[in-house]
Amino acid sequence: MIAQIGLSILLLGVLFYAWTEYSRAPAVGLVSMVVAGAGLYFVWLPSQATWLASLVGIGRGVDLILYVWVIISLMVMLNLHLKLRSQTELITALTREIAIANARPVSAATTS
Amino acid sequence: MPGEPDTSIWLIIPAYNEAAVIGRVVADVVKRGYNVAVIDDGSTDETGRRAGAAGAIVVTHPINLGQGAALQTGIQFALRQGADTIVTFDADGQHRPADIDSLIGALTTNKADFALGSRFLGGTVAMPLSRRLLLMAATWFTRLTTGLNVSDTHNGLRAMTRRGASRIKLRQNRMAHASELLDEIARSGLRYVEVPVTIEYSWYSLAKGQRFADSLRILVDLSAQRLHR
Repeated sequence: MIAQIGLSILLLGVLFYAWTEYSRAPAVGLVSMVVAGAGLYFVWLPSQATWLASLVGIGRGVDLILYVWVIISLMVMLNLHLKLRSQTELITALTREIAIANARPVSAATTS
Repeated sequence: MPGEPDTSIWLIIPAYNEAAVIGRVVADVVKRGYNVAVIDDGSTDETGRRAGAAGAIVVTHPINLGQGAALQTGIQFALRQGADTIVTFDADGQHRPADIDSLIGALTTNKADFALGSRFLGGTVAMPLSRRLLLMAATWFTRLTTGLNVSDTHNGLRAMTRRGASRIKLRQNRMAHASELLDEIARSGLRYVEVPVTIEYSWYSLAKGQRFADSLRILVDLSAQRLHR
């Protein structure tokens, strides 16, 4: 019971995070939401996980959850990668403005 | 800017550590009367100083961002200078200054907003087979993804009108910008025309050019961009 409550709180956190990320990266947000939702469901109904696992050809429900967890980690990594790219775009915009503002005219360059 | 005869044509040359050749390249185009802006992409050598000494306006990125970012900076700078026509030109000396006029001419005669240089319509000097195959693959990929029927997708020599240039917003800082630029042209719906140009392959330009491993990186960059914002 304690484990279930703990996991539920964690997964609710993930769900909330995925929801806030949805507008920025819809693909990442959507997959994370679905996965977190499924996680919540199986935490409270583990027998369903075993049933689903055997349905898709995985031995135990625990294994299924392990695989899903790997997928979540990969999504988080992808999301971080995309965030870094957004950061780079901001830095680029800033650098560009600095460069243009400091453009050296021909005369100044030739006399230096 | 101090009284140039024709302020409407701007050449933008992105350069990163090209000190060995930039002076000659800039001098060659400056003497033809174009306004020349060299975008020094955070070079660690003398590139910026030599470009300035040869008569270019130097716009310096404080940090190295990549050729795509430098091109976009150049386009933005030229637009703010009031450019009517913007020509992009490579810093490594592989383009012929004589081709610039035919590109600009092609804009007016075809009422086009983009004139794209093509080495496959024109000529190449000393092009290795490996480079030819790589470029053919890149061209095939771009045709597939943009729907533009172009023969040479990775040619740094292009001319665009002010209207065309204002529609270009490059987000790919590194080398994927060549495909991205064609993407933007396709999306703008403006008219483009291909113009034969000659590329001269030298030991120098080949050493700085793209290899197969870079093309994989370009694919990753292009796919990642479609996933956010």
